[in-house]
Order: sequence, then C-alpha cells, then structure tokens
Amino acid sequence: MSAAGRYSRQILHWGEERQQQLEAATVLIAGVGGLGATVSQLLTRAGIGKLYLIDDGLVNWPDLNRQTLYSETDIGQPKLAIAKQRLQQINSNVKIELLPKRIAHSFRPPADVSIIADCLDNYLSRFDLEAGLAAGSFLIHGGIEGDQGQVLTLQKGTSQSLADIFAGTRQPQGKIPVTGAGATILAGFMVNELFNTIFGQPQLLNRFLIVGLSDLHLTFLEV
Amino acid sequence: MIKIQFYSLIRLLLKREQFELPTSDNENVGQLLQRLQQQIATPFLHKLLDEKGEPILGTIIMINRRNIHHLEKLETPIHDGDVIALFPPGAGG
Repeated sequence: MSAAGRYSRQILHWGEERQQQLEAATVLIAGVGGLGATVSQLLTRAGIGKLYLIDDGLVNWPDLNRQTLYSETDIGQPKLAIAKQRLQQINSNVKIELLPKRIAHSFRPPADVSIIADCLDNYLSRFDLEAGLAAGSFLIHGGIEGDQGQVLTLQKGTSQSLADIFAGTRQPQGKIPVTGAGATILAGFMVNELFNTIFGQPQLLNRFLIVGLSDLHLTFLEV
Repeated sequence: MIKIQFYSLIRLLLKREQFELPTSDNENVGQLLQRLQQQIATPFLHKLLDEKGEPILGTIIMINRRNIHHLEKLETPIHDGDVIALFPPGAGG
C-alpha cells in the first residue's frame, strides 16, 4: 500500500504537506502506560517518522484496563519490547527506538528530539524529564486521576516550567484511580496537541485544557 | 473585584465555575479563601488546607497565573482585579 493510500483519510483532512511534516517528525514518549500506550499507537497509525519510547516497567494485570498495547499473554514482559512489537505490526514504516530506563535527574533526551510527550505517572519524574530538555523543546504534558485530567504544552526556556506550575504539589499516596475511558480520552487530546505542535500551531501553549469526564466539561486555565 | 475560578474537583464540589468577591483592604489569599467559604456556604477549605491552615498540597492555588508557592503562599496580598485559580491536577498517567 502506498503512503498516499494508507493515509488517505487523514490527508483528506490535513493535506499532503502536513502528512510530510508528520513523517519527518520525531517524538519522545516518556512513559508507555495508560497515556503513553495510546499516544504511541495513534502517532504510529498516523505515520509519525520516529518515536523514542522510555519506560522501565513490566506488564501487569492492573495495566490491562487501559494500556491499549498490552494483553494477557504479555504479563511479566517488559512493556517496551511488547510496545515496539505491536507498534511495528501496526506500521512498519515508523522508526522506534527504545530507552529502557527510569527517568532520573541526569536524563538527557536524544539530540534529534524537540517534541516530548509527558505520559508519566508521577511529578518527580516529570520534573526530571523537563529539567533535561534543550531550550526551545516543546513538552506536551498529560495527567489523569479518576475522571479528571489535563493537557498542557510548554516551551522550554520561554514558558513557566512544569516544576514551577506544580510547585508544592504532592504525589497522592498509593495507586491512582484511572479508567480506560479516562486515559484514552486524555491520550486523544494529547495526540491532537502533538499534531498541532508538529504542524507548528500548538493550541495549548501555556494553557491547560482541563477535562472533567463526570459532568463532561472542558475548561482552559492560562499559565 | 477579585475573581476566583474553580477547576476540576473543586468545580464539581462547588457546582460553579467562578465567584467574584469585592476587594477588601489588606487581605491575603488565605483570608480571601476564608471569606469565600462564608459567602458561598459550601465547605471546601478542607480540600485545600489542613487542620493548622496549611496547604494540603493537592491543589494548585494561582494568582494571576503564578503559583502562590513562589509568592508569599497563603500570606500573598490580594489586590483589586486579581484572578485566583484553584486547580487540583490529575497526577497519574
């Protein structure tokens, strides 16, 4: 199948030029769990040029309600290995590089990365991820808890930092409640913003999109 | 006037998006929130502050886009026209 045929339905929407921009783009996805599994899958289906995936976890039973790349036969396996296998089955044209590690303060992204998807599940790792980014990089942050979540785009060096915005915020004790619908909806908003950013028109730069799923509200908060 | 905006679970709890209060002389954000609770008659400060009146750290309090953690925390002075945002973010991923 030709690229034009494969991506014909989305090219009808955004055109050939943007498809070429997408196929030339590289995105780093930090965390391949509830948000990251769906974000990586949708970017792969759309024909992103290259993905870096970071995670150090193993597939576990409680992951299966929302982590859309994994299944029962993957229990106990490294998430990254399974993710790459599934993503390459979906689209073998996408280059996928694995970084099997936990994000620490010493983390520095590969030199060809300027767009980063924060799909992490804790504030400390988010702050460590952000600290290592090069000036001008775009960080698309996503967070989900119960039926509430948010997406925000920041540009390193010009925006307030995530660490400043979330200063003093404590990580909740214990496991965080997350549903499959909540994680998938927030991941969809993240991918939409990743497309906007790749096309040079981020819509959530310095502006939270706050999503409430119980009463179905969307609001913005400028930062 | 001071505008206080509610987001996420605070919005659900209070069943409103925002509230406006007239400016009061020499008031800080902690005092403003106490006055807000009296005005709207729905207890919500237990979601923001502990028994000693210190922030619980689950909700971001912003004044004009700045987290009060970088200002004078709950003692940050409030001025006419300020916009206060109360936002408990989702931590998971």
